[in-house]
Amino acid sequence: MATTMKATPSRALRSLAILLAILAVVAYVSYLAIYVNYAVELFRWPFDYDQGEGFELYDAILYGQGEWPYRDNATFPFYASNYPPLFHLLIVPLLPIFGPRLIAGRLLSFVATLITATTIFIVVRRNIRDPDQDRMTDWLLPTLSGLGFLASNYVYQIGPLSRMHMTLVMFETLAIAFIAEFEHPKYGTRNLILGLTMLFCAGYAKQTAVFTVAAALSYVFLRDIKKSIISGASLAVVAGSVFWLINVATDGAWWINIIQANVNAFDYRQTLFLFKQWLRLHTLFAILAAGFFVYELFWDRLSAYSLWFFFALGVGALSGKWGAGFGYFTTAIAAACLASGLALGRLRQKVEEARPQITSLPLSARSLLVAVIPLLYLFQAPRMLHLPTSGPVFEPISRVLRVQDDLVYGKGDTLASTHCAPVEYHDAMGYTQLGHPLTSKDHAAGAKIMTYVWSVEGPILSEEAMFSILAEKPVVTNPTQLLNLYNNGLLDTSEIIDHVNRQAFDLVIFRAQFYPPPVLQAIGQNYRPVDHICMNGFYYHILRPSNGSDSGSPLSELPSGR
Amino acid sequence: MVTKRQLGIFVITLSIAGILGVVAVDIFDAGQWSGLGPLQQGGIGLGLGGILVGMILVRLGDRPA
Repeated sequence: MATTMKATPSRALRSLAILLAILAVVAYVSYLAIYVNYAVELFRWPFDYDQGEGFELYDAILYGQGEWPYRDNATFPFYASNYPPLFHLLIVPLLPIFGPRLIAGRLLSFVATLITATTIFIVVRRNIRDPDQDRMTDWLLPTLSGLGFLASNYVYQIGPLSRMHMTLVMFETLAIAFIAEFEHPKYGTRNLILGLTMLFCAGYAKQTAVFTVAAALSYVFLRDIKKSIISGASLAVVAGSVFWLINVATDGAWWINIIQANVNAFDYRQTLFLFKQWLRLHTLFAILAAGFFVYELFWDRLSAYSLWFFFALGVGALSGKWGAGFGYFTTAIAAACLASGLALGRLRQKVEEARPQITSLPLSARSLLVAVIPLLYLFQAPRMLHLPTSGPVFEPISRVLRVQDDLVYGKGDTLASTHCAPVEYHDAMGYTQLGHPLTSKDHAAGAKIMTYVWSVEGPILSEEAMFSILAEKPVVTNPTQLLNLYNNGLLDTSEIIDHVNRQAFDLVIFRAQFYPPPVLQAIGQNYRPVDHICMNGFYYHILRPSNGSDSGSPLSELPSGR
Repeated sequence: MVTKRQLGIFVITLSIAGILGVVAVDIFDAGQWSGLGPLQQGGIGLGLGGILVGMILVRLGDRPA
């Protein structure tokens, strides 16, 4: 009799667990579909979507021509990169296929996110797989951990951009996956060498990899002090030698642009804001990963994964730096998705070992957990809600979810003052400049700006590189880098101001006016606005020389804005 | 192999050094605030938390960290 009573709720619970698992997979696969849709849309967008994408492409173009992007910013073309070279070098082989277009960098970055998600899947599956346990959870946990990474608002927004962040996260994830297995009886040495190689790659993708390096070496240190010292010393010698060689090859421009220019003002309020936002959006992943770290710290041995999560929070702490932002949390998201999957896997294992029975119900805690796991991921899914609110598919969905009017820039009276048009996109994180779809008006506006660019013969001064690259003009200035250097007292602006005073640039294109104040002042005195074009939600200000022979807009007959 | 006790001693040492460093900022007049600024307060809070964690780890003895 007791057996029958127990079997019925167990069967019902099993059915419920399957239903919840299907719902959870559908929710996260939907996020994947939204991500792919966004990525494909960006692949077709020829202009900068995020300020800086074109400069990263230009770095790759320079490498393709055998030139360094680490230069003297005080002389024409006043351009230098402030990032390490690996991401740009990886783009170089794609340039003959795609040409000097942003799709090369965007595709690389997008593929990097897929590799990261797959690595998370493999690591979680490898660690929690147990033939004696529920097979559905064996697949569900790794799948949702990997898809959870791609469902993150931050990963979605940055993933398909021609920026180096996601390549960094890919190398970091691979590094931790290899280093975690450095004690493997057969492949330990191979794994350690591969892990160190991935750490080297991560460091030469972006400087913030230093936290993952610290996590990986700390893990090796806890288990094998001698190996950690040898590993750390080897990595330091190789990375340091390459660093020194590049610095010599660039006459010290590497040091100035990579290190000195990145010492920027820090606003702790921005860090606190972003930490709160990150926690609000990724609550389940963050809490489970933190719990896993505490559990291992006091009750078990620290794993490479929980240590990585702990150290990755350090990258987040730097997010208050000028020029930083939520992208600094992408490493922590990868680590949290991975560690949270392992945490639930460990919980399942502990429940199996203890086999507790819920006395008030004829249920086992084990069967209850099988249903609770997808429920937890279902609780997490809406916290990261983001989707376009227009189009035949997304418009009805956003209407059902009642977010079709809750747009990231606002609309009508609530339109953010910094924007010229609303974008049809909702994101649970609130205001964000990324993630929204582009419209035919945006494409037309881009074409109109290009008509201005093509209408002049000489070089242009643009805050976004793609206008110059598409017109096959020299890329002049990297405005944020100039501002970084200026703020650190490392930029002599006399030559660029002299160029502006001589009106050597036939056209100036502003979006955010990132140039150092004296340069902006000189432009204000020597150039006058001829048009303001609304594209991608921003006004692009077109300026021409004040004393130019052509005093009017060549496109004055065309309508402005949207 | 590092033990919980050794890790605890390391964490306590690092935390004390961190607190001293945070306080020393004012000695060298490097801070923007008079007295303890918000970042310094946060740093000291983290340091004290680190000491507490370290003490617990020390009590866990020779188990592998």
